[in-house]
Amino acid sequence: MEKVDDRTILEKFTEDFVKVLERHAKYIIVSGFVAILHGRSRGTEDIDIITEKLQPEKFALLHEDLIKSGFECLQSRSSEEIYTYLKDNTSVRYVKKGTYLPQMELKFARDQIDNYQITTRKKLPLTGTDFFFPSIESAIAFKEELLKSNKDLKDAQHLRVIYGKKLDELEIERVKTEIKKLRL
Amino acid sequence: MKKKEFDEVEVWANFVKTHKREEWKPQLKDLIDSQIIIANRFYKNLEKTPQGKEKIRKLMNLN
Repeated sequence: MEKVDDRTILEKFTEDFVKVLERHAKYIIVSGFVAILHGRSRGTEDIDIITEKLQPEKFALLHEDLIKSGFECLQSRSSEEIYTYLKDNTSVRYVKKGTYLPQMELKFARDQIDNYQITTRKKLPLTGTDFFFPSIESAIAFKEELLKSNKDLKDAQHLRVIYGKKLDELEIERVKTEIKKLRL
Repeated sequence: MKKKEFDEVEVWANFVKTHKREEWKPQLKDLIDSQIIIANRFYKNLEKTPQGKEKIRKLMNLN
């Protein structure tokens, strides 16, 4: 039987982007898109992605590869200038050339929590995708302890229902403790 | 946060958890895709207006 392609615009866009990105760096998809890929019923305009920190020359290669693959950065065309944002822990936004949305909001790992999330990254079969994510425990901890907006708390609630008793509550608390230590 | 709002999230999450992807994904796909299509259409129209590009940069906090 023919397989139905039920991928959303966001999934196709992310597939195209990470196909390029993974040639240059390890990454994780974080924040709202994680919940949406688990069936959370809400829209979003951007996908948040964290990569390991790259040196300027390596980032220039990634940027060039993205441009060749049909993406453009909304902040600047110059990889040197884009790098100054990333170095200062500011995210930069890539779109498919000639469009405004969706946007890939890219940032470098900023501390040991981000590095830990990248080191322990995993694929999550329930999403039906081949992307890399932090652990679900980590995703929930960030939403409940750091982000805390109404939307984020609902995302966390949704993920808690989906994973139920499979969640490692001790790991959620451990990540929350790290967040308090390093981010709050 | 109001309890009712959380209940709505739980009802949908339980539907997703207990039903096949084929049953819930098309509903979600329509919601997500339409938001992107409508917003892109709006920005393309705004782009053609006087100072349209500057307005878009402001809306996207790019300045």
